Amino acid sequence: MGNGKPPSGLSSRVVVSGVNGALYGWGLHLGKLDGIGRSAAAALGRPDHPPTFAQMHDHAMHVAKAPARRFYYEAPYFVDVMMAVANYYGLDLPLCAGDIYNYEAEAMGAKMIYGEDSMPTIDHADPLIKEPRDLLKLKPPDPLKDGRMPYAVEVVKLAGQRLGFGLGNFCAPFSLACGIRSYPLLIRDMRKNPSFAHDLFTFLVDEVLVPFVRVQKEQAGVKFALGADAWAAFPNLTPEMVEEWVAPYAHRLLDACKPFGVIASAIASADYCEERVDKISNEMIIKCFQAFAKVTGVPIAFIGMGRGQDWDLTAVRDYAWNSKIKWYGRAPIIAGINARFLRDSSVEEIAELVKRYIDVMGRRGRFFIFLANIPADTPPDHVHAAISAVRTYGRYPIADDLDQIEFKMPQRESFEEYASKTGALSATA
Amino acid sequence: MSGTLEELKRAIVEGDDDVALDRANDALGEGIDPLEVLNQAIVSGIEEAGRLWNDNRYFLPDVILSAGAFKAALDVVEPHLAEGAGRKSGRIILGVVAGDMHDLGKTIVTAMLAGAGFEVVDLGIDVPVQTLIDKARELEPDILGLGAYMTTTMLLMKDVIEGLNANGLRDKVKVMVGGVPTSQEFADEIGADAWGKDALDAVTKARQLMEVE
Repeated sequence: MGNGKPPSGLSSRVVVSGVNGALYGWGLHLGKLDGIGRSAAAALGRPDHPPTFAQMHDHAMHVAKAPARRFYYEAPYFVDVMMAVANYYGLDLPLCAGDIYNYEAEAMGAKMIYGEDSMPTIDHADPLIKEPRDLLKLKPPDPLKDGRMPYAVEVVKLAGQRLGFGLGNFCAPFSLACGIRSYPLLIRDMRKNPSFAHDLFTFLVDEVLVPFVRVQKEQAGVKFALGADAWAAFPNLTPEMVEEWVAPYAHRLLDACKPFGVIASAIASADYCEERVDKISNEMIIKCFQAFAKVTGVPIAFIGMGRGQDWDLTAVRDYAWNSKIKWYGRAPIIAGINARFLRDSSVEEIAELVKRYIDVMGRRGRFFIFLANIPADTPPDHVHAAISAVRTYGRYPIADDLDQIEFKMPQRESFEEYASKTGALSATA
Repeated sequence: MSGTLEELKRAIVEGDDDVALDRANDALGEGIDPLEVLNQAIVSGIEEAGRLWNDNRYFLPDVILSAGAFKAALDVVEPHLAEGAGRKSGRIILGVVAGDMHDLGKTIVTAMLAGAGFEVVDLGIDVPVQTLIDKARELEPDILGLGAYMTTTMLLMKDVIEGLNANGLRDKVKVMVGGVPTSQEFADEIGADAWGKDALDAVTKARQLMEVE
């Protein structure tokens, strides 16, 4: 599987950057921050400006004009493209996560739809488990052989070698259950046939996900693995349902992976994704944050895929500033910029939202900007605008009156020109 | 309203399809006019679920379960309705337009429409314009539902409507559009008959298009 040894923990480069960043976050400014250092500083306090990261595999493929048939099948090519696009934008944490909702389901035999210009997608109209008895026929996939799981493991390994630390990933139990059972049927199971639903979640955790995470540990040296859980977002589930159905299996997975040295945590469970602006409510936002904390074990004020531009940001800030984590203190804020907002707004509107985020939520540090699942067809200028606005308005200490600071849209070359100039894709192109 | 109808309505509001099915049978067994069962309990129940959704007191799982209970009761009562007296929901084919692989919203709308008594043919995602037109000709639906998640792909909805026009099918089928980037203005602009702003609204609009009470 690929070349080279798996990284064992953190590289010395990452350790140096992390220590420098930690000291910076505590107020001891010994050197300039790189992306890792900036993230470490932001985790503990105030960096030079908030760090940025993104979920963007479809967008990266589009910007790099990468064929889907290579991008989603050839790990070295995928990692090269993702790193190149992340560096083009100047993201601090270049995450190399692909279509992470699909690997396990596809390897179990779920019907997929393969597009020429898009990621593989589970066909939810024809679920793998049509009747509860179908669960008994399912064979746990072999992460080293079945479907694109070996590709996924190799992506984690190669990205770890490039970044200096291995970050695993998987589809969280609830979203995986939706993938092979379909959301409407699973909801009915949870109400009408809870013992089957529990059997399904148990199978997915014990027979599918724990082995997958273990292989990522063995092959790619990961110590942390994140599980995406978009289906467990509100209003697909209520916060109470997240606590009842999602948290127990997130904990089961976490507990099962700890003995072999991996912290495997579901993320984005209870993400508040109300689309109707007239229904957005502070009460529900806070309930979702509380449910998220039940799943992950730590309170984080997380604006994920929802319409953050329409939220009351003071509620987010107050939740974080009033929540304490043992040995750590005030909870961090991860402020996501909504995918469609980023794609459909003007660069001025994007810069204005970043300014408002920083003004209301970013002043005390422990604050990250997340570009939430950048749509494939987002103009690159919109991403440049968001990142440039973070650097314009986010310089610590944050200015009292951000309206006095002028935002200038940077003039940037196209990705094609950038890649040609830097040779960013020369290894796999 | 009789106790049985009250229990039927409650079962639909609470999303219990087994109880809804039993109470619908009980109501007919007690000799209650099927039309009264339909209007006073079944339709009234799903409308109550819709109100709770709009008031932020019901969430998607509640609505999905209510739709399932609605369908269970309707399947019992519908064969007993006099010709033309009951609600004939109609046939809908729907798909996400080509280039768009987003399945979540379409899956939920499909479940909701089926739950509301429509015959739903799900063409899936990434459906080419010509396929949508061919299926409209072949299956003769009352409504063609088009979904899109992206501002680029939603433009294909206009091509579908133009294709229906060019093939002499536009007068035979209503077109309903939906998906995050769409709006009433967009629906008007491309000549669609209705826009659903969410899954429940899609059901409401579909029923309006079919003039279902």
